[in-house]
Order: sequence, then structure tokens, then C-alpha cells
Amino acid sequence: MKAMANFPPSDGSTEPHESREEHARPAAGVEQSDLELVKRAQRNERGAFDLLVLRYQHKVIKLVARLLRDPTEAEDVAQEAFVKAYRALGSFRGDSAFYTWLYRIAVNTARNTMASRQRRPLEYEADLSESEQSSVDARMKDTDTPEAAALSEEIHQTVNRAVEELPEDLRTAIILREIEGLSYEEIAAAMECPVGTVRSRIFRAREAIDRSLKPLLD
Amino acid sequence: MRRRLAVIVALAVALVTPHAMATPDEARDWLQRMTESLASRNYDGLFTHTAGSQSETMRIVHRVEDGRGVERLVSLDGSGREIVRTAGEVHFYMPDRGVVIVEPRTDDGSLLKALPAPGPRLDSLYTLSIRKGNKLLGREVRVVDIQPRDAFRYGYRLWLDEETAMPLRSVVVDSAGQVVERIHFTRLETDGTIDRHDLEPAVDASGFQWIRSGKRSEPRATVAVTGWRPLKMPPGFRLVASRLQVMPGVPMPVQHLIFSDGFASVSVFIEPSPPTGPAPPESTSMGSANAYSTRIRGHVVTAVGEVPAATVRDIATSVAPVEAAAPAAEAPTADAER
Amino acid sequence: MTNQIREQMSALLDGELPPDEVGLLVRRLERDASLRKAFGNYVLAGESLRAPGAIMASPGFAARVSAAIDDGAVPVTVSQSSHRREPLRWRRPVAATAVAASAALAAVLLVRPGTEQQPRLAVNGNGGAMVTLASLPVGGSSPTPAQNQRIASYLVAHGQYASPIGRRNLWSSALAAETGITRVAYEIVEGP
Repeated sequence: MKAMANFPPSDGSTEPHESREEHARPAAGVEQSDLELVKRAQRNERGAFDLLVLRYQHKVIKLVARLLRDPTEAEDVAQEAFVKAYRALGSFRGDSAFYTWLYRIAVNTARNTMASRQRRPLEYEADLSESEQSSVDARMKDTDTPEAAALSEEIHQTVNRAVEELPEDLRTAIILREIEGLSYEEIAAAMECPVGTVRSRIFRAREAIDRSLKPLLD
Repeated sequence: MRRRLAVIVALAVALVTPHAMATPDEARDWLQRMTESLASRNYDGLFTHTAGSQSETMRIVHRVEDGRGVERLVSLDGSGREIVRTAGEVHFYMPDRGVVIVEPRTDDGSLLKALPAPGPRLDSLYTLSIRKGNKLLGREVRVVDIQPRDAFRYGYRLWLDEETAMPLRSVVVDSAGQVVERIHFTRLETDGTIDRHDLEPAVDASGFQWIRSGKRSEPRATVAVTGWRPLKMPPGFRLVASRLQVMPGVPMPVQHLIFSDGFASVSVFIEPSPPTGPAPPESTSMGSANAYSTRIRGHVVTAVGEVPAATVRDIATSVAPVEAAAPAAEAPTADAER
Repeated sequence: MTNQIREQMSALLDGELPPDEVGLLVRRLERDASLRKAFGNYVLAGESLRAPGAIMASPGFAARVSAAIDDGAVPVTVSQSSHRREPLRWRRPVAATAVAASAALAAVLLVRPGTEQQPRLAVNGNGGAMVTLASLPVGGSSPTPAQNQRIASYLVAHGQYASPIGRRNLWSSALAAETGITRVAYEIVEGP
């Protein structure tokens, strides 16, 4: 049986890491970056908190929409969660990641919202066929307007198209960053270029996507 | 483009300093240490899980209490689902469906007993190697490669923290060299105190539908179901456990066979066909896990495991009733050699 | 020098901006709405790539949060009479069919392992190469909730017996949203 011929090679032909580390900037990582923003927000730099909202808005809304099971209020509840987080910033001490802390606040906010409503309890251990049908019905409730759904679809298509049209080095860089989650250093090693070039490529890729999104969202 | 990307990514994670290759024994020792660490330490970490083109952030919390590991795995974005393993049960919360799946916990409580042990037999199935790697999360790491010798199973690359042998990153690779799944820790605290609160689900499941396995007592003799076996198994897979699973909505208990090659494992479930239900053969892929269901003589046979799709398909389609007189009828318990 | 600031913003998004450069950037962002908008689009790009078809924030959301904070508004528990400010822009989770047709890889088997040829996975992806013969996927039917629950039960049951690494991968995949699952119903045909 043929062994896997192209298992990732482990040759040490990539650049020696010692010299890279000497000149490497302190790679902050998203978590550290969040902590830095939180510190500034705690000192009343509002712009810092705005950045955190921009960064996590989609994640929080997605989370809340699932917990509420009626997504029409997801944005209102998510907004409430962010406001609560802002007011509670003083109590955040940095012993967990910022998003972990924000996540808990969002969950509690959603829970309180559900508790304040009347809920029709589902039957426990009901016969699968009947309860599955009712839960399918609940989920299929169409709450978005045709225009809203179309916009959302257009955003996704626009982003995909913009990425497909990028020159290959920009496309590779943005995909390695956003989908594979590699750091700039790792991408630099993979693409065999300096970290500064990685940073520039990712930036230019984002600018191209931003240009495509502008006519849609302005 | 995707293939080239996969190769670039593979190179990206191959950042190494040149170093002498160590023996397979050393690699195996490290795997053993890793397995023990995962079972016996407290830890709390955040990681990015990537399969296909989807990435999600997840958190894992693990605590040892009374000689048993309890843990919670939660998706921090995306689905919001969680799996919580308590002392007696495993709960799979799916807030997106309003459902909780409950299974009884099946390990006997001894931390290490039930773990597949990377024994010498592993060498005939995989090529193991280990070397020093670049730092991750500021820690020194060893990189273990587990290359299968055939295409029935997947390959792994594991980055282990030198001090604790905890995996900080892991990658699953298929026979074409493509990365099938990856886990990459962005934060990991080991051996600290774990707050009880962190092991409780964030989901409020009181309005959910709870689907419990194993609740109902067996209605009658299940002789008709036992005695099925796959006639074709890839080299090295042995039967390590066999049990009956009482599934809600299924009148007869489902037979559950577990096979392992010492590293990867595959389950085969055999249940009587419902009068209405899934008919054609069907295949499901979730990251490095694959499942294949098919109908055989009025039963639904499903094979699921961390092996390629072809492997589970071959196993499932080869399942057949075995004569009662067959010697290898009853399964060994977890004590058996794996 | 706008480009330099925007590039710094991009680096900040990736957590790759040195801490001492963050302050200036934050202050510029406070003053410049177009910079905030650009940052929002950078975030949107990443989210869209990672989870196509998922719920997203509508364009004015972050601004509304900021306004609510400025107002000093006391957070009020949202009551049942839902008053919406803007129609929520979201889509239903994408069915497996659509995903298989778009960016996801649909793996189709051609040959059984153990025969002369190596088992090969024919991949239908964006890079498009191989087309299968008679064994075309039958539309990748959307799994019913009952099927999903059965698979979910099996995943939990099997996971308990897997190695710790195997279990972690398996259960993580189970937690990932449905769009990560590729489902194919097909007939096996012995390939060339």
C-alpha cells in the first residue's frame, strides 16, 4: 500500500527562525489586541469600544438569534448586550478573553429576554414525528423582506466575487488569514515573503473588497 | 487553487528548525503522555476549529473530579451548540434546533483504562516521527507526525507542549495531502482550578425537546440483532467493545460495535429499519469524521468514525449476520488489547 | 496618509498592530466615520468568507449601539410587542444542497480501496476538475431533522470511544453549523 506521498514535508528549508524572532515585532494576537482596546475603553476612549462592537457585532447577533429562536429581535437584544458590556467594563479584569466575557453577557441578556416572555413549552420526549414538524415550522417562519434577503445574498456574493478577482498573492494572503487563521508570521513563511509584505497584501485585499461593498452599503 | 492553497498551508505549518529525527518509540511515548495529559489534567482553552472552509471559535473546559474527567465543549460563534460530559451523562445541546440529545456515559470511570493505547502494533499501520518545532503560544513544542501506511485512515500532525504534552495544535490530513480538519489553540490554561460554573451549559434548554437514549428498558429479547459483523475491515482494526444502544423512537435496541486500530476508531450501528425512513445509501462528512448508512436485510447499518469516507462505506456495506456458532461472537471488554 | 491609517486598521483587526500604535488609530477612528465604515467592511469580509449564509448585523447596527451608549439609555428588557427599527437582514441557514453546489467540496467516490487503483476522491469544487460518470450526486438532499438527530446521537455515542484527539475533532465538527456537513446520496459505480 502506498504511503501518503505528499504528507506535509518537514524539511528545514524555511528560513531559520532565530533571526526572524530577533527582528519580529511583538505579535499581539487578537486577544491581546482586544485587551488593549478594553483598557482604552475603560479610560473613556469611546473609539476603542466602537472598534470592539464592530469586530464582534456579527458574532453576537448570530449567537443571540439562535438563543432567542425568534431572530427578529436579535439586533435589539444584541444592542442591549453591548450596552450592558460597556457599562460593566469596569468589572472586566482581563482574566478571560474579552469575547468570552462578552459572550456570557450576551447569553444572559438573551436569557432574561426569554424569561420575560410567555413561552409555549414543548413536550418532553414527544414522538419525534410530531414535535420535529412543529419545530421545523417555527424555524421556517419567514421574517425577512425579499429586499433584505436579497441584500444579504448580494453581500456574500460580492465578497466572494471580489476575492476571486484578486491577484493570486493577495487572495492567498487573505484566505490564509481569514479562513486558515494563520498569523502574519506564519503566512510570511508560507508565502516566503517578509511580514510587512503580508500585512500589505492583506490590507490591499481588504481594500478591494471594501471598494466592491461600497456601492452596496452606502 | 484549493489544492495549491492546501499545500501552502501545509508548508506554513511545517515551520521547523532542522533537527535529527527521533525514533518511533519516542513518538509513541509522547503520544502516550499526551493521552494521559488530556485525561488527567484540568484545562481551559480557546481554539479555532476549521473544517472545509468553515472556521469557528470554540472553548473546551476539562476538569478531573473523583477520578473522572468532566468536560464542556462549546461553540462560541456560529451554532452556539455545546457538548457537556458530566459524571453520568453526555448532553449535546443544539439551540439551533431546540433539541438536547442525552446519552449515558459509557466509560467505566477509570481515567486511562478506556483510552486507545498507542502500542507497538501502531508501527505496522502508521509511520511515527517526532521533532522539535517552533514555539507556539510562547511554549516549546514537539511535533509528532502520524502518517498512515495506507489510505484507509487519516494522517495527523500534532504540536505538543514540551512540558505537559498537551496538544496546542492538530491537523488531520488525507491521502492527497489536503488538510481536512484543524484545531489551533489561541489560549490554553493547564492545571488551574476550574470553576464549576464554566462546566455548565450557557444554553437555557428548559424549553427544548430532550431526546434521551437508554431510558427505556429493553422490551424483549434482541437475539435477532446481535451477531452482525462487518466482513471487511481495513488492516489493524479490532473490535474493542460492543453494546446495545436504546435509541428513542426505535423499538429494538441498536447494536453498537466499536473498532479501533489503536489510534482511529470506527463505530458500527445496526438497527432494524423503520417502516418509513431513509432509503438510499447516504454519506455524511463532518471534518475528519465520516458516516455511511445503508440498508441490509431489513436493517439500517451505519458506520461512523474518524476515517475517510471510503473506509466507512466499505465497512458498512460489508456488514452481515454472522452464524451464532462463529467463535469471535462476543466482544471483549475494554481490557482487550487494542 | 490615509492609506497608512487604513493599513494599520487592517493590522489591528488581525491583532498584529503594536500596542503603541493603537492609541493614534483609535483617536482617528473616533473622528472619522468613513474609517469606521471601512473597518466594518473588513470585518464583514472575514465573516462572510468564514460563514456564508449566516445571520449578519445590518449596516447601521454599530452606529445604533454607539448612539444608545451616548444617550445614556437604560437598557430595557425587550418586551413582546416587538418594535423593530429596521428590517433585520438575514437569511435562513443555507441548505446542504446550495452549499454543495457552491464553495463546499462534494466528495464523490469512484473506486473502492483494496483494488489495484488507489482510492480517489473526485472533487467538485471551485477549481472544478473532475466530473464523475454515472455516479453523479443525487442533488445532495437536505437532511431531515430526524436523520440529523440520528447522526448526532451516533456521533455522541461514538465519540465516547474515540481517542481524545479523535473525540475533540469529532465533537467540534458536530458543534459546527450544518453548512459544514456535506451530504450526498448516490449510487456507487465502479470507476475507470
